Amino acid sequence: MMVRLRFRLNHEDVEIHVRDPASTLLDVLRDDLGLTGTKSGCAIGYCGACTVIVDGEAVPACLRMVGLLEGREVRTIEDLGGPEGLDPVQAAFVKCAGLQCGFCTPGHVMALRALLDEEPEPDDERIRRTVDGNYCRCTGYVKILDAAREAVALQKAVAVRNSRAGAATSPEGRRR
Amino acid sequence: MTADLNRGKEPMTAGFRGKAPTPVDVTREVPTPTRELPVTGLPSGRVLPPPIGSAVERIDAAEKVSGEAVYAGDVRLPRMLHGAVLRSPHASARVVRIDTSRAERLPGVHAVITGADTARIRWGAFRPDLYPLAIGRVRYVGDEVAAVAATDAETARRAAELISVEYEVLPAVLGLDEALAEGAPLVHDDAPGNVAHEFAFDRGGADEWFARSDVIVEGVWQSARQWHGSIETIGCTAEWSRDRVTLWVNTQTPFLARQRYATALGLPTRSVRVIQTEVGGGFGGKSGDDNTSVICAILARRAGRPVQLLNTREEEFLASRPRTPMRCRVRLGFTSDGLVTAKDLDLIADNGAYTGKSQAVLGAATVRHDALFAYRAVRARSRLVYTNLVPTGAFRGFGNPSADWAVGQAWDLAAARLGIEMPDLLLLNAVEEGGVSLHNHRIGSCELKQCIRKAATAIGWYEKRSNPTPHRGFAMGVSVHVSGRRSFGDYDGSSAIVRLTEDGRAVVITGEGEIGTGARTTLAQIAAAELGLAVADVTVTRPDTDLTTHALGALASRVTYVAGNAVKRAAAQACERLLAAASRQLGRPASELRVEDGLVHAPPALGEDVPVRLPVGVVVRAELYRPNGEPVVGLGSFDNPSEFPDGVRYGNESGAYNFAAEAAEVEVDPATGAVTVLELAAVVDCGTVLNPPLAEGQVEGAIAQGIGMALTERFDWAGGAPTRPNFVDYKLPTSQIMPRLHVEFADSYEPTGPFGAKGVGEIALDPVASIVASAVADAVGVRVHELPITAEKIFWGIRSATDRRDGDRR
Repeated sequence: MMVRLRFRLNHEDVEIHVRDPASTLLDVLRDDLGLTGTKSGCAIGYCGACTVIVDGEAVPACLRMVGLLEGREVRTIEDLGGPEGLDPVQAAFVKCAGLQCGFCTPGHVMALRALLDEEPEPDDERIRRTVDGNYCRCTGYVKILDAAREAVALQKAVAVRNSRAGAATSPEGRRR
Repeated sequence: MTADLNRGKEPMTAGFRGKAPTPVDVTREVPTPTRELPVTGLPSGRVLPPPIGSAVERIDAAEKVSGEAVYAGDVRLPRMLHGAVLRSPHASARVVRIDTSRAERLPGVHAVITGADTARIRWGAFRPDLYPLAIGRVRYVGDEVAAVAATDAETARRAAELISVEYEVLPAVLGLDEALAEGAPLVHDDAPGNVAHEFAFDRGGADEWFARSDVIVEGVWQSARQWHGSIETIGCTAEWSRDRVTLWVNTQTPFLARQRYATALGLPTRSVRVIQTEVGGGFGGKSGDDNTSVICAILARRAGRPVQLLNTREEEFLASRPRTPMRCRVRLGFTSDGLVTAKDLDLIADNGAYTGKSQAVLGAATVRHDALFAYRAVRARSRLVYTNLVPTGAFRGFGNPSADWAVGQAWDLAAARLGIEMPDLLLLNAVEEGGVSLHNHRIGSCELKQCIRKAATAIGWYEKRSNPTPHRGFAMGVSVHVSGRRSFGDYDGSSAIVRLTEDGRAVVITGEGEIGTGARTTLAQIAAAELGLAVADVTVTRPDTDLTTHALGALASRVTYVAGNAVKRAAAQACERLLAAASRQLGRPASELRVEDGLVHAPPALGEDVPVRLPVGVVVRAELYRPNGEPVVGLGSFDNPSEFPDGVRYGNESGAYNFAAEAAEVEVDPATGAVTVLELAAVVDCGTVLNPPLAEGQVEGAIAQGIGMALTERFDWAGGAPTRPNFVDYKLPTSQIMPRLHVEFADSYEPTGPFGAKGVGEIALDPVASIVASAVADAVGVRVHELPITAEKIFWGIRSATDRRDGDRR
């Protein structure tokens, strides 16, 4: 018996058929939908490597049962960046050398993306608390924190540029 | 880059890193050369060519931030199955019977294997003692017993649980004392007394020098298993084509792994091809001493389909190869004015159930730190002891963080006894350029004293020490590391091919790989600098044992130094050949030509006033597109100018040594014993800093791992295994516990290094545990003797000191 599920994934409607609705979103993304940008680090919701955004909230995909996602809005690392360039958060990680092995990076990027969507100009305490939620074994976090602060600045610059250009689209515009 | 490839041989000066020279506050004499060193540096007085020393963005950054990089678990092959492993629940047992029939009947299962399906060959880097799957015996909780390949990982795991194994549980040795006890059960029948490896030496006459010492300090310090905790676990995908298997592995050392996996599979080396995937953190843990890839290959063979096998996080904790715990009895002698005389070290290391690299770790831990100081005599007895615990092995620092923690504690005791401030004591004894240790470490460039002075300044040592704050403490420590170490046979070399392309780029073909440090980026910088190309126009291959040059890979802080030299030479030869081709094409002598920004430049021809500019790609294409045309390719090779240490670890391990001095300020909550590391200053001598943010990243990350080793990383154990083997119990440092860091690099230039560079990957981890422990002792008078330094240990230490004081009063 396969169970049919429909939800929004990276701004597209998807319909999947799973044998077990208790399968995790992480396994479904990686194995059924081929979106391997979301990483598995511990499978118990501790390390943050599998962070995705569900209805605007950063959550570990390894703890989300896919059966509970019906009608929800899911965003993964594959949603960011594109032909027009990197997302400001991604660009900040590149600029600040905020990554080494890169395995935890998609999780960090998504956690910060969710933060900046909710609060475009977070104070340093919120930035620190967000970064504190995700493990990184390589960097000692110094350059991840640099990247997080830089992301705020880059996003602001994009917003200013967009408003100057009189574009109707907000930074979120291209994501519809 | 000029066409003149005859580099000058003048000695390098400080302040050579493309910025305003910093006055070097170390007065040192001109070093006496101890031997002829190959010179690869640039003539004195020239700034380093771009992009050496600049903050070039990582060449792999965009694919990593976008989730496009393909790690071990991201490999997808047609018809690929997924594997799972059944592991021993017992620390020591005889395998009486295995019944796989229920697992085989589960729908979706394609192969079930046990030891009977393997070549029954024991393998291992130094002491072959590990079967791919258990043959008759299991020796630790996590030992591999059977494995399954199925259509998905969940089915494979369920099938593995359906395998029924009858065990006869045997007595186990679950610690060093149990293992060394008279009549202890043997982990391996061929290792009497459970000793896997041992050696001893007395260089310089320790007893005589202790007799002449005014102050002697002594103590025992014990370190613990520390797991690499790479966020990506170990994983492999295997596919057979007739009698040949291709393994896509997240290994740090593809060529060494290929050799070992072939042995384990009972195949000739030529039958195994290893391709490196993206590696999600290595730190020594992915250097090919575990069974995952071997089992994956056997499963794929049996299933007749590709198989992917990934460790779960629990398996990573149960059955990877964590840091070798060491118990060190250290004795140091000093003259009353603070000159060190002798050192005596009795080192017992916990091998766990199988040997892996711990044998080499033991050697490094025993001798390396002696390169720091001018000891008159050093005696050591080192033993590697089997236990029925998870096997140990290589972890960043390779024995030195454990040994440095113990020896560093003894030095800290000595400073207190001598009444000399630690920076002063270190400066009094620190090695300098030209020094030769009792083990024949021949020290080339060495700015250890500069590191000590700068670290003391950065932490505000003298001001803060003279105005102490309650419950706060300070400490300083130093360490030395290699830039490549001769240990896998008498070779620590690297070779590279640089191919200039018809579209004006360079492809650097090297088998060294990338584990996250940015090695491919710095190698691209070296090639770009040598060739006069932009880094964006340089591609660096990933290791593939069929396609790239042979390489030992990412270990022993070797890639920048060893591979960097090979790439530099290959690029120089490619550049020379490019200019020879351009010379023929333009009818101009090569000495008039140079490459810059991807163009071959020549002065105006006679009677012309416009300089000639020819794109590199045009020259390459013209060289090819002619009768008997040839590609423009350079080959470069470099072998570390080092010696293969003998059985008692005498020999110059490396051609270049890197150094660090680190100082910490901690605060201890006297009510709970909780430690906060407030500030940590690290000053590293890694020669020329090729790419500052990448080098800083190595130092920052190493310090974080050192803080984890010192304070947070531990398990509760029961029955020979961690009770909850996941991150819930095993706390990696998060951003909130990181101290304020001051990271600096000494002005330094290594004449044998590429553009003056040395290794930097491990050094900054080595002193951390020791300085945190010493700072805690300075803060509250409690010296912890067993890692990690938990609040509980400090609390009881404070309490018993209080009790003693109260007792005295009564």
